[in-house]
Amino acid sequence: MAYSNKVIEHYENPKNVGTLDKSDPSVGTGLVGAPACGDVMRLQIRVNDDGVIEDAKFKTFGCGSAIASSSLATEWIKGKTIDEAESIKNSQIVEELNLPPVKIHCSVLAEDAIKSAIADFRKKQEARAKNGQTNGK
Amino acid sequence: MDPFATLGVPRRYELDLLAVEKTHRELSRALHPDRFAGASPSERRDALAKAVEVNEAWRILRDPIRRAEALLRLLGVPVGEDREPKADPDFLMEMLEQREALAEAKASRDLPAVRSLAKGIEGRARAVEGELGTAFDLDESAQGAAAREAVVRKLGELRFYRRFLEEVSAIEDELAA
Repeated sequence: MAYSNKVIEHYENPKNVGTLDKSDPSVGTGLVGAPACGDVMRLQIRVNDDGVIEDAKFKTFGCGSAIASSSLATEWIKGKTIDEAESIKNSQIVEELNLPPVKIHCSVLAEDAIKSAIADFRKKQEARAKNGQTNGK
Repeated sequence: MDPFATLGVPRRYELDLLAVEKTHRELSRALHPDRFAGASPSERRDALAKAVEVNEAWRILRDPIRRAEALLRLLGVPVGEDREPKADPDFLMEMLEQREALAEAKASRDLPAVRSLAKGIEGRARAVEGELGTAFDLDESAQGAAAREAVVRKLGELRFYRRFLEEVSAIEDELAA
């Protein structure tokens, strides 16, 4: 199958591959998989006190489109607030990368990964608030 | 298409694949174009179409994943993209760790480590195939939605294992080259 130039660009030179410290309270980790094809994707965010995503890393074991989708996702969410990042739709990834219909599930995976990382971060924050570890919040 | 009907084998997950292969070979021989040299064009066309169907049925039944998908479809359970439950987070975490270990073994060109990881996954794939056989064998009427979802989950696991083992083959080729 022919990949679009943008997919190849991200695949050959993926942005933000790596890991953040999972136990850091400011880090949210999203882990998603595609049961239909067996791809696995981990996306992590580090959020500052203003709710802005300062850093994002990913690790994807899957096809070129899955790697490109997650690479693009981390690029897009850096500098955004978590609310803004949460509103990213898989269709935007499809459009940007020119993904063919059979690869749309890769973009869905990336959207799920963002949402799951944000959900994990929020869960951590709530747990912290409950334990009274945040100042007055 | 019902690949079980095409090859005349019982509609179940656990099959005697040697016997199915034999049936496939016999049917293919009977449908070979050489046998229809003197037949009418429409008979030749029908025989060819049937031969294609027989081959496809065999490809489905010999494949543990496609066989499970075919059975689920025949039971009216949707399979494929977007229709399957999300994988269990603990399972995903473990698969990710296994994939990372595989990537490390590849980077250090450690073929024995690659093989040992593959062996572990192969064993788990076989275990899941066994579980699928039992699950499908349950009386159809006794299978509630929950039981079917469990089957679809197992099938999902099998796909993650296959993906892993495809990666292993690619690495073995690369390291051998």
